[in-house]
Amino acid sequence: MKHIYLLLLGCGLGLNAFAQESLEALVEKETVKTHEPVIATYKSTRLIQGHSPETLKKRELDFRVAHHFGDLGGEFGGPKTFFGLDNSADVRIAFEYGVTDRIMVGIGRTKGSGSLTQLYEGLAKYKVLAQTTDDHMPVTVTLFGNAVVSGMTSSTTVSDASYFGKFSDRMSYTGQVIIARKFSRNVSLTLLPTLVHRNRVGYKDQNDIFALGGGGRVKFTKRLGLLLEYYYPFRSQESKDYFKSQGRELYNPLAVGVEWETGGHVFHLNFGNSTAILENQFIPETSSSWLQGQFRWGFNISRRFSL
Amino acid sequence: MKQMIALLAGLFLAHAGFAQDVFMCRNTGLSFFSATPVEDIDATSDKGTSAINLKTGEVYFKVAVNTFKFKKQLMEEHFNENYLESDKYPNAIFKGKLVSPPDLHKDGTYEVTVDGTLSLHGVDKNYREKATIVVKDGKPTASSKFNVKLADHRIKIPTLVIKNIAEVVEVTVKAAYTAAS
Repeated sequence: MKHIYLLLLGCGLGLNAFAQESLEALVEKETVKTHEPVIATYKSTRLIQGHSPETLKKRELDFRVAHHFGDLGGEFGGPKTFFGLDNSADVRIAFEYGVTDRIMVGIGRTKGSGSLTQLYEGLAKYKVLAQTTDDHMPVTVTLFGNAVVSGMTSSTTVSDASYFGKFSDRMSYTGQVIIARKFSRNVSLTLLPTLVHRNRVGYKDQNDIFALGGGGRVKFTKRLGLLLEYYYPFRSQESKDYFKSQGRELYNPLAVGVEWETGGHVFHLNFGNSTAILENQFIPETSSSWLQGQFRWGFNISRRFSL
Repeated sequence: MKQMIALLAGLFLAHAGFAQDVFMCRNTGLSFFSATPVEDIDATSDKGTSAINLKTGEVYFKVAVNTFKFKKQLMEEHFNENYLESDKYPNAIFKGKLVSPPDLHKDGTYEVTVDGTLSLHGVDKNYREKATIVVKDGKPTASSKFNVKLADHRIKIPTLVIKNIAEVVEVTVKAAYTAAS
C-alpha cells in the first residue's frame, strides 16, 4: 500500500512538473535546429576588382560599371592629368543575373588594358558550399569561370600577341576557386587559387599562368570597412627576366579599398596598381608599380534590381 | 485497490486534460510594414512558433529574424546584417499574458488585451496590445496588429535613408493553433 501512495505521490509530482513546463520550453522543443548559412561575408560579388565568394540572389539583375583611372603619380600622373582622373585606364560595363540563389551568369564589355582590347566577356559563378553559423560547414567555396574574346583588329605583325591567325587566338579564360571564411562580423578572409589561360601570347610569355590570390575585409564600424586584395602570379623567372629586359617589368596586383554601406547603397573607394579590370589581364599583365606612383583610383558602381 | 487504479487513471486523464489547455502553432505568420512617402517596405515570415495556455492565458511567440522575406534581396541582407543584426540577436520573442482571460474553451470571438515583453534586437520592452482570439471547434486562432517604434529597440536608421524607413513600423501577427501533443 505504501508503494501505491509513493506511486501516487510520484504521479502527482509528475503532473506538477508537466504543468509547470513553460510555453517557452514547449516552443523551444519545437524549434528545429538548422544549419543557417552565414550572410554577407562580403557586401558585393566583387572583393575589389577580383571576385568575392558572393553571388547574386535568384532573379536579381546587377548592372555594373567599373572604372580604373590613370596613374595617380609618376610620369603620367600628377596635376597635369589631375592625378589620373583625365585618363581612363580601363572601363567595364556589364549585366549580371542570379539564376538561382547560388548560380549567377553575366555578360560584359571591357575596354581592355593590356595586349588585347575590346573585350567581350561571358561569366558564370557557382556557390558550391556555404559557410554555416554553427560551423557545420566552416568555409564558403565558390567557383568562377569566364571566357573573353577580343573584338580588336588583328595586328599585322605576326610576333604580336594581338596578331590573330585564327579566331581562337582572340580568346582567354579565367578559372577560379574562391575559398572564404567570415571569421567574425568584422573579419572575412579569402583565398583565390586562379588559373588564367590566354590562347595567344607574345614572345616568352606564358599561355597558362597560375596565381594565388588573397584578400579580406576588416570592418571598423557596422557600415565602414577596409578591403585588401593581392594576387601572386607564378610566372617563370625566365619570362619575368625577359619582360624586365624589355623595359616592361611585371608587378603583382595589389589593391586596397574602403567600403561604406549607407543603408541602401555600398560605396567603394579603391586604389590599385593594375590598369586592367578583368582577371584575364590584371593577373598576367600588370606592369605598373605602386612604388613608382603607378596606382590609380577605381570604382565599381553596382545597381541591383529584383526582377 | 480498484479505487487506486481509478485514481491513477484519473491522474493520467488529468495529464491529457492539461494538454488541451496548451495549444501550439508552428507556422505563425508575422509581417511588418513600414510606410513613408518615399517607399513602402514590407516583409513577412510564416516560420514563427507560438503557444498559448487557455487556462492561464499565457502566450509565447518566437520567430527567427532571418526568416523574414523581403521583395528586394539586398534589403533582406541589410535588414539582417545592419538593422536587426540577426547574427547577434537571432530571435524575436514575445512573452506575455492575457489580461483577465475569458473562457477560451468555448467557441466565440474574443477581444482581449495582452500584456508582455517583446525582446527584439537585444532590447526588452513592455507592450500592452489589443488582440482578437477566435475559437472555432475548440481551436483558437489569434491575431494582433501593433506598432513597434524602432528607436525603442535601438534599431538605428542611417541618415541617408531616413526618408525611406518609417520610425514606427506596423507589426501583424496571426497564429492558428492546434492542441499541443
